[in-house]
Amino acid sequence: MPLNLGEFEQLVLLALLRLGKEGYGVTVREELLNEGGREVSLGTVYKTLLRLESKGLVAAQIGDPTPARGGRRKKHYSVTARGRTALTRSLAALRGLSRGLNPVWGAP
Amino acid sequence: MNPIRWLGWVIPAEEREFILGDLVETYGEKTGRLGWELLRVGTALRLRTDPPLTSHVSPLTKRSNIVGTLLSDARFAFRQLARSPGFSLLAVLTLALGIGATTAIYSVVSPVLFRPLPYPGAERIVTLWERGQDDSENNTGYATFLDVERMSTSFESLAAMSSWQPTLQGSGDPERLSGQRVTQGFFSVLGVRPALGRDFRAEENVRGKHFVAMLSHGLWQRRFGSDPSILGRPVTFNGIAYTVVGVLPQTFESLLSPGAQIWAPLAYEPALPWACRTCRHLRAIGRLKEGVTPGSAGRELDLISRRLVAEHPTDYSTTGMHVVPLQDRLTRDVRPALLAVLGAVALVLLIACANVSALLLGRAIQREGEFAIRGALGAGKGRVMQQLLTESVLLSLLGGAAGIALAYWGVKGLSALAPANLPRLSAIGIDGGVLLFTAAISVASGIAFGLVPAFATARPDLFSALRPGGRATGLRSRRLARATLVTGEIALALMLLFGAGLLMRSLHRLLAVNPGFDPAGLLTMEVQTTGPRYQEDEPVRRFFEQAREAVSLLPGVEQAGWTSMLPLGGNFDRYGVRIEGVVLANPANAPSADRYAVTPGYLEAMRIPLQRGRTLTAADGTSAPKVVLINQTFAALAWPNSDPIGARVQLGGPDRPWWTVVGIVGDVRHTGLDETQAPQVYLPEAQWFSADNAMVLTARTHGDPALLAGAIRAAIRAVDPSLPILQVATMEEVVSATAQQRRFAFILFQVFAVVASLLAAAGIYGVLAGSVTERTRELGIRAALGASRGGIVALVVRQGLALTLTGLAAGALGSLLLSRFLQRLLFGVGSTDPATFGVVVAVLLAVALTACWAPAWRATRVSPLEAIRGE
Repeated sequence: MPLNLGEFEQLVLLALLRLGKEGYGVTVREELLNEGGREVSLGTVYKTLLRLESKGLVAAQIGDPTPARGGRRKKHYSVTARGRTALTRSLAALRGLSRGLNPVWGAP
Repeated sequence: MNPIRWLGWVIPAEEREFILGDLVETYGEKTGRLGWELLRVGTALRLRTDPPLTSHVSPLTKRSNIVGTLLSDARFAFRQLARSPGFSLLAVLTLALGIGATTAIYSVVSPVLFRPLPYPGAERIVTLWERGQDDSENNTGYATFLDVERMSTSFESLAAMSSWQPTLQGSGDPERLSGQRVTQGFFSVLGVRPALGRDFRAEENVRGKHFVAMLSHGLWQRRFGSDPSILGRPVTFNGIAYTVVGVLPQTFESLLSPGAQIWAPLAYEPALPWACRTCRHLRAIGRLKEGVTPGSAGRELDLISRRLVAEHPTDYSTTGMHVVPLQDRLTRDVRPALLAVLGAVALVLLIACANVSALLLGRAIQREGEFAIRGALGAGKGRVMQQLLTESVLLSLLGGAAGIALAYWGVKGLSALAPANLPRLSAIGIDGGVLLFTAAISVASGIAFGLVPAFATARPDLFSALRPGGRATGLRSRRLARATLVTGEIALALMLLFGAGLLMRSLHRLLAVNPGFDPAGLLTMEVQTTGPRYQEDEPVRRFFEQAREAVSLLPGVEQAGWTSMLPLGGNFDRYGVRIEGVVLANPANAPSADRYAVTPGYLEAMRIPLQRGRTLTAADGTSAPKVVLINQTFAALAWPNSDPIGARVQLGGPDRPWWTVVGIVGDVRHTGLDETQAPQVYLPEAQWFSADNAMVLTARTHGDPALLAGAIRAAIRAVDPSLPILQVATMEEVVSATAQQRRFAFILFQVFAVVASLLAAAGIYGVLAGSVTERTRELGIRAALGASRGGIVALVVRQGLALTLTGLAAGALGSLLLSRFLQRLLFGVGSTDPATFGVVVAVLLAVALTACWAPAWRATRVSPLEAIRGE
């Protein structure tokens, strides 16, 4: 069954793709701020990551503990194939629907 | 403070490690920011994901599963509080004040009054007393103690003890220790076993074999470097070698003799002159057998006492003995002050609750519409009440958390302020029990102050509340509820103020009591002669005489003298006095008098007035005829119709020498400023049959006596540097220490009364400000119709005054009730003293009027135009 993505889910997936191996809570939030101009709370980011994980759109890998984290392990997220498909579908829909509309969003 | 330790749980367990790691990486460990973010992430994750509209409403309208509802109510409550931070802060601070003060006081009171003493089976430990003629509790003599020990069956073990202040010599400076001489059952009565070594043995309680000692853990650590090989080693006390047989555990608290560090066997024998029945200077304790009550033990001892009195009728003035549980006896003196303070702090808490309750009510009026919408969506009365109660409990829990921080500081201050005779001072602190108590009162107070607003708002009139610009009809009852709360606050504040006022007057009256001497400019210190040089009387007396001369010669010292006992110094030395020519049916009924053995210079330095006859001089030496001075109370008591001068008295027993009364001096308060005056005798130290080896110096100085302490010490050290000098204090300090318990209660009442008045004022202000806001339109119309400013001010002030006067009337009744509990702390002032009451009422009235002022002023600023346009 094809999955439809929410807007924020799209943004998080895109951020994860941009971050590559460095995708986890803190970096996703920074990426959203720096590249997407969206300021969101960490809690929202975690909530979305967990939801995407439960839908199988992202996968988590557990990293090694580091001293900077007080000896705690890190949970990296990467976009799964299923996630890529969903994102592609979503973006395609956006592109298709916005095609032909002029920049001020009126009819041509 | 580590936020992860305290708040880590808010993150769901399965994600906790990773999220905490991220947060630490970003914000660093142990930062406030980390704690804040942690809370935000936790709240976001635990909130239902993307709630659809219906589920957002339903938990607030219907009763579903209880835990889920509570959680969602709590979440909602949190958001409500965050939405109006000013209100939340005010409410939390008020509660923190009330809960913090209550927690601090409870932590002081509870180890003393409520928790068992730190001995195993402490409830079975009792104190034993001979009954005095006035039903008083008197010490016992050794012969009586032995008979009781032999004849009674109620006790597992019994022990007698006396105080002992040996001077420790050897390594380091000589040091006078506080200790006890005890019979061998002492430690088993208390249920204490030495941590090191062994208890005393029966054969060591025998004269000549008693040179063994038990050390406190502190002394062992401090003077002997925690050396376990101390056991069996000799230690020198007063020039005599004692063998150390044991060291007590670190946890041992010496409650029978606070500060005691050293114990040795009492080693009395019945034949000794100081072991007689009338030699009542021993305290006795016992451990009751399992199942025996203090009452039944007391009845057994009464029977024994009757037999002893029958056998030795002249040794007892009356029959009977008292058996008093140790805890009751230890806490008896401080109980009135502690209970009064506990009561006072409960009032403060009540006021804080009433205040928050009033605040919530005010807010509930603003939240009218919200409740109406909930009602319209089908929320029942109970459901809305539950939501409101959740909010108030949440508030009180926040207040409780802040209160614990407050209490932490409060306890430190209280320990410093506490009367010196407060037992278990070291056990005072914030521990698990106290925290549990705080949690309990937080929840209880949350429910208490939440109920009123919850009842008053639960079911508003939907129609008028939802109508634009409409007003709910329930408003009236809510205003009434709020006014009632504020009235209650004023009443409670009046009670506290009245208590504080009574205590303040008592304190003034007490310190105004003439002690019989002039404490200003007097310095006192105690010196004990000890060691091989002072085995005989002659060198002891020579030392004190030389030291007196050295001190008198100091510039700035006017007069100096020694006394065996310092008035108000905490000790007493009482002797039965037999008067020549007066035959008593029972010599045990002879009057007893405080005995002062003094050197020349003492009466002059103290400025104790000579009323008749002559004073004691250096000519009244060892070989001169024996002479005494008596105080006026003794003269009036024993010679009501004749002249005591020239009469002769015996001190201590029929075989003692006769002393001739040569003068009468003024009364001196000895045990306390509030005690009844006892007979007193002064005799030349040189004429007593043995020299007192510990004497108290009193030196009258020009200017501040404390400044001369160093010079006087140096002068004494110049005579003999090896003797310990103790308890250096100005006489004014000694006098003021006797009022400590009342001062403790007074300071706390004062603080509480101020807090209470401020809270009450805030309450009045809140009600009036709220009412001015509600009545904006009315006030505007009045102004438009030509009401003067004065008229509008009068309108508001009249409302405030009505609240205040009602509160004062209720408070007057409460004050009568409260002051009865203060009775035992009062001195020289009635518990219904009208003058105090008048002053207190005036103060509170002034405070209330001040609180009216701001809302009244605001009411006059209402512009008619805006008020009407605002609708």
